[in-house]
Amino acid sequence: MGFYCKAMIMVKSVLLATAIVVLQTQAQTAEVDFVRDVRPIFEKHCYSCHGATKQKSGLRLDVKSEAFKGGDGYGPSLIAGEADESPLIELVRSDDEYSRMPPKGEPLSAKEIGTLTRWVDAGAAWPDGIDLVQLEDRLDHWSFKPSQLPGVPATKDRQWSRNAIDHFILSRLQQAGLTPAPPADEVTWLRRVTLDLTGLPPTPQEVTAFLEEVAKGEPTYIAVVDRLLKSPRYGERWAQHWLDVVRYADTHGFEVNTERPNAWPYRDYVIEAFNNDTPYDRFIKQQLVGDAMDAGAATGFLVTASVLLPGQIGKDAPSIRLARQDSLDEIVNNIGQTFLGLSVGCARCHDHKFDPISAKDYYSMQAFVAGVEYADRKIESEESDDLKKEAEKLRQRVAHIDRRLASFVPLAHPVEDRNVNNEETNAKQNTHSFSPLKAKFVRLTIHDCNLHPSLGLIEPCIDELEIFTNEAEPRNIALASAGAKVTASGSRSSASHKLEHINDGRYGNSRSWMSDTHGRGWVMVELSEATSIASIVWGRDRLGKFTDRLATAFTLQAGLDADALTTLVYVPPQRPLVRATMNTDRFMPLRTTQLRFTVQSTNSLEPCIDELEVYNTSGDNIALASQGTVVTTSGDTIVADRHEPRFIQDGEYGNSRSWMSNAVGEGWVELKFATEQEIDRVVWGRDREDKFQDRLPTQYRIEGLVGEDWKLLADSTDRIPWTEDAQPAPSFSIAGLTLEETDEANRLLEEKRQLESKIKAAQNGQKAFAGTFRKPDDIHLLRRGDPEQPAESVTPAVLSAIDELSLPNETAEQERRKVLADWIASPENPLTARVMANRIWQWHFGVGLVETANDFGRNGAKPSHPELLDWLAQEFIRSGWSIKHMHRQIVLSSTYRQSTRHNAEAAVVDADIRLLWRYPSRRLEAEAIRDAMLAASGRLNLKMGGRGFDLFNKRGGLSGFTPVESFTDEGLRRMIYAHKVRRERDAVFGAFDCPDAGQSTPRRIESTTPIQALNLFNSRFTIEQSDAFASRVIKEVGDDVSAQIQRVYEIALNRKPAADEFAEAQPVVRAHGLQTLCRVLFNSNEFLFLP
Amino acid sequence: MNQPSNRAHPILNRRGFLSDSATALGSIALLDLLAGDRLLASESAVDLARPFVPRPGHFPAKAKKVVVIFCAGAVSQLETWDYKPELIKRDGKPLEDGPAVTFQGPAGDLARPQYQFRQRGETGKWVSDMLPHLAELTDDIAFIHSLTSKSNTHGPAENFLSTGTPLDGFPSLGSWVSYALGSENQNLPAYVAMPDPRGVPQNGSNNWGPGFLPAAFQGTPMSSKEPIRHLGPPGVSAASDRAARSLLQRVNERHLQQHPEDGKLAARIASYELAARMQLSVPEITDLSSEPAHILKSYGADDESNPTRAAFARNCILARRMIESGVRFVQLFNGAYASGGDLNWDGHSKLKEQYDKHAAILDQPAAALIKDMRARGLLEDTLVVWCTEFGRMPFFQKGAKGRDHNPDGFTCWMTGAGVKPGVSHGVTDELGQKAVENIRPLYDFNATILHLLGLDHERLTFEHNGIERRLTNVEGHVIHEILA
Repeated sequence: MGFYCKAMIMVKSVLLATAIVVLQTQAQTAEVDFVRDVRPIFEKHCYSCHGATKQKSGLRLDVKSEAFKGGDGYGPSLIAGEADESPLIELVRSDDEYSRMPPKGEPLSAKEIGTLTRWVDAGAAWPDGIDLVQLEDRLDHWSFKPSQLPGVPATKDRQWSRNAIDHFILSRLQQAGLTPAPPADEVTWLRRVTLDLTGLPPTPQEVTAFLEEVAKGEPTYIAVVDRLLKSPRYGERWAQHWLDVVRYADTHGFEVNTERPNAWPYRDYVIEAFNNDTPYDRFIKQQLVGDAMDAGAATGFLVTASVLLPGQIGKDAPSIRLARQDSLDEIVNNIGQTFLGLSVGCARCHDHKFDPISAKDYYSMQAFVAGVEYADRKIESEESDDLKKEAEKLRQRVAHIDRRLASFVPLAHPVEDRNVNNEETNAKQNTHSFSPLKAKFVRLTIHDCNLHPSLGLIEPCIDELEIFTNEAEPRNIALASAGAKVTASGSRSSASHKLEHINDGRYGNSRSWMSDTHGRGWVMVELSEATSIASIVWGRDRLGKFTDRLATAFTLQAGLDADALTTLVYVPPQRPLVRATMNTDRFMPLRTTQLRFTVQSTNSLEPCIDELEVYNTSGDNIALASQGTVVTTSGDTIVADRHEPRFIQDGEYGNSRSWMSNAVGEGWVELKFATEQEIDRVVWGRDREDKFQDRLPTQYRIEGLVGEDWKLLADSTDRIPWTEDAQPAPSFSIAGLTLEETDEANRLLEEKRQLESKIKAAQNGQKAFAGTFRKPDDIHLLRRGDPEQPAESVTPAVLSAIDELSLPNETAEQERRKVLADWIASPENPLTARVMANRIWQWHFGVGLVETANDFGRNGAKPSHPELLDWLAQEFIRSGWSIKHMHRQIVLSSTYRQSTRHNAEAAVVDADIRLLWRYPSRRLEAEAIRDAMLAASGRLNLKMGGRGFDLFNKRGGLSGFTPVESFTDEGLRRMIYAHKVRRERDAVFGAFDCPDAGQSTPRRIESTTPIQALNLFNSRFTIEQSDAFASRVIKEVGDDVSAQIQRVYEIALNRKPAADEFAEAQPVVRAHGLQTLCRVLFNSNEFLFLP
Repeated sequence: MNQPSNRAHPILNRRGFLSDSATALGSIALLDLLAGDRLLASESAVDLARPFVPRPGHFPAKAKKVVVIFCAGAVSQLETWDYKPELIKRDGKPLEDGPAVTFQGPAGDLARPQYQFRQRGETGKWVSDMLPHLAELTDDIAFIHSLTSKSNTHGPAENFLSTGTPLDGFPSLGSWVSYALGSENQNLPAYVAMPDPRGVPQNGSNNWGPGFLPAAFQGTPMSSKEPIRHLGPPGVSAASDRAARSLLQRVNERHLQQHPEDGKLAARIASYELAARMQLSVPEITDLSSEPAHILKSYGADDESNPTRAAFARNCILARRMIESGVRFVQLFNGAYASGGDLNWDGHSKLKEQYDKHAAILDQPAAALIKDMRARGLLEDTLVVWCTEFGRMPFFQKGAKGRDHNPDGFTCWMTGAGVKPGVSHGVTDELGQKAVENIRPLYDFNATILHLLGLDHERLTFEHNGIERRLTNVEGHVIHEILA
């Protein structure tokens, strides 16, 4: 394939034809002279809009070649010899003031029009070489010229330079009269390179190991770099840079912003490609045509942009055409800016203002990808078929488990059936007074406790249980000192928590009893003798510090016989709050022919139910129409094929098969069964497909017909009340189950978890949002980018300024992309290697040699070190396009090893440090800050790949996104594995200039705002990681405050604290805990900046 | 041909920047400022380490601050501001040569405005009864009846209104303004976005996103209902918090001593001081208990018979307090996300029934806001903008009692600083379907807002991916006819 630059541009056949006409008509044109007669008219009326500074509609009349070429999409404006056919003449002559030229100011006089007309009719003679301005050759631009291996400059200081990079840098510094900064100390380099290559700080062990070996010199440094590049953490760090450029996200964007659930295989592909050091030319090809290269997920690159889904596009044909154009435009932009560093998209509406890219070039690029659709594609692999079969089997097993689990729901206690207290417990103290009774035994049985904000259901805790006598001055006879003995279902034992603490007369968490079972447990007190008692008092933490682990449902019993106790208080567990996906109401079996479900309120608007299932005691859903059951309702909002009453009993889930009431906040549904049934369970949901959370019934009643009367079977009064900000209910709760039921349910849940992760793995092997491919659309040049104004049709062709390569229209879809990929990923393409070499440089130093990493065009910045850039590009190609090779060259250079030490004189010459007279420090990116905090706290979950974890309460959709504040398990993975909701920046780290995946981000901007400070100083994330960091350190070094402080510094900052730092930290740690120091260091500049 | 335009930020001169920032942030040491000056990126005179110092515009302006009342879902121009007697006449008749299919499906018959129109004020402007309180203000308003959008789909169209392009990821108007002008109050966010009490608008945070501008310039979402996040640490005692803050300051100062010339480090230290001040100012400004009863009453904030209106009214009061305190840009949303028109102005099927509810929420609080601001003299330097992403069709949708999306002719308006009162610009056809005179793409609307703030929409640029990006792309003409 030949790459060459044309010496001249825009030589068109029109011009040649004109020249011939000119020769033939020379004699007659003598009377109108271009310079004397015509140009002054142009100058007076036209050049302000069609001259050197402005070229409205792409027309330029001060340069001969341009004038004859004409404006955008209208063909030549001057047709020599035919004034009547020349648009220019027609426009100045026009009577219609809206279309007449010039649009403002005086129209041309009749004399002027006459002159122009005669001039054109006579052949429009425009002598060569008389133009007052010269057309700039847009190809005369450094990045369009082939890159050549430059000679490495000789520098005076041979000691300093370690490799070619250093020679180039030093030579440029010396030209500017500058000298490099002294090298950074060893540990600073280690911290810098570790953060830079892996996005995580080195561990204290790595620091120690490095210092032990550092005396050996260079091999030690090389070994460190090898270790880092081998670490899977490297790919997780560097893939993020790439994902920024291609604006990767896990939602579709725009108004509806729904989840793109299979986007992540592309993210994983990129991580893997970096980790494997996939040669960059292959990396490019895989992303464009991976479907032909056994790298299916890689073509996710083509469809990373926001896109309107079919349901969101208007039904009118222009809307459909515009949406298609927009989606193709995004693909072309992505290819242009990512691989070539060119803003090709500019030419969508008109020829590029600065670069030699015409509108035709742009649409010819579109033709390469005109068969790409934004959709999931099955990614074929050897295992995928087997996995599919396996998944089906597993799914059947899960369905079976679900059926069994569905029976493990607590019985409903509807309001009329409630012979029980419904009180809220208090973490500090709960007092229960009752009619005096004689007791030898007292038992407190816990059925449920509140959820820990991050850990969920954990073991309940009681600091003291007190039993008071029925006397004028009641005495606590539960005390061990009063001879009482205590037993329990099971106890956790630690310094703070012991069974004997429950009746030791001392309050507070550090003298408390903790059950050994999540959410339940019992304690029994055997009094020294049978005594008349009148009140019982217990608390979680009488000192008021702790509110977690609080029993919320319990039974309090007392009596003389341990096996026949009287119930004094029963606070039943509250059933979970209603969920949009699925709710189960279980009740005592009832024989009936009719069931009524009445909605009394909703979270918004008219209630909607996707399916109402009623189970008989044999486990059959007898609500189905197919069972002969007939439905009637209070009234309906009917939307054909979406909301109809019959959909509530059709066995199909989801909003698009649901019933909607016609009244806001209320409505009822009655089911009449074909025969009498013994029923014990109702299962219902708003949207089992989990896309809609609105219109959810929040208060309701379920009744069965007994004779003439309706009997209340279940209602929402014993559920946790629904509020807007309620924590979503866990999908399964053991609260209210018997111990046996709990054991069985837990066993089933564990099995289900394992099965689901296997199924997920199997499915994930199959689908990726990586585009689908079909017969390409016919692509036309569009006037002003408007799909309603198609002009000539175009075929695939590369940018005409750089190369000549075009394909016939019948070229097959995949072949088109293949040809494009080969052209881009060629060592001869002048842009490809330079653009990537520059990106690599930028990601190491913060700024590229070319500051505008996505724009190597004429509007982009000039390279600060053009020869170095070419050397890097050539070295990149020579190494087999190895990105890891480039890292080694850079991070082992003396340039990179400089300290950040300031130099006032150098700063005067080069304030932005573009010449690299020191290492330019910069703030870590959002992801690196979060990851580094988790690494320090010891909680970082290194699980790689797969579906992302949640930063918000939902994974996509219309309405507001509530941030997750407290993270566990998956939520503690590296941030690249967060489910990225387009446009929603993370609540804490988004403010740290985290891109929103709307447009490409070639370089992270670094801004500083008080919102960042608020987020990092006060967020629950920081507070929890500070606590965890402190716990980790205390566990590692014990109670000695000095040792703790030292360890915290070593982990967070890779150094020991200085004496005065010790002195400052100690009183704070003693008074406020080690977590306070941890919080401070997480917020310190030293932690947050690349050293 | 000329060289490509200078990539330097065109709106600022360094001297002006330095003197302004020195007064605004007097607590920052001069040394640090000088260091910061030297560190300024060559591409921009906006110091990203101190993004909110006030900056001058391109030319003197009457408006210094903006309140945008953004009605999500596309308010019908035909039910509100654009009086079309011909449509009343032809009620129930089919529109010959009208489109057979529009955004949501087949078109039905022409439908008269669902509210009575009458003449108002001295100008005699015809305005409907749908928004009676706002209708009282017509003598002060400049209406633009001939706006057009580039999209008939809510998402892209709200993007277009808010960011000047239908695509995702471009900077919002408020971000451009705070990028250009900084803020008059360093203790509050420069740019506040207040979602409707019923939920966020259709296009969510892209309406206040910074796009490729630095994140500093994004709108901070908050409302009377939802305060700014992370104003205080959960579960940390005040004493521990104080100790942490003071230790952090010492730790950072020691580090700065070792890197004495690094302006970014100094700026982060300063940002913690600003954050501490914000922790005090935000609760103060959001506490409406000091507002007198007659104010609460005039906005409808005291009337819990309509809790949504009361909540929107509280947002309106908060907006006024923000403007009083020097916040640069307040975006007040009325209407939430897609809901078949139940929660916003997207009246496809039951327009009258739904607009009755929405109008009751919008009208009194918004009108009270404008009156209250005028009474306090705030409109001397504050621009108030009322806008919506597109309009609606003169015919009902087939088989429904509502109107489909119409991007070809709709109405938005402005009032306040720099705006000519009591004018109407542009005309739609006799049925109100398409703009026919003084056709004004939304580019012109945004260009005019920038102009009123002293900003030239062609000079307010930011280099991104090789393009000097503007709010108005390569389009936009200031609507001089509505300027005072």
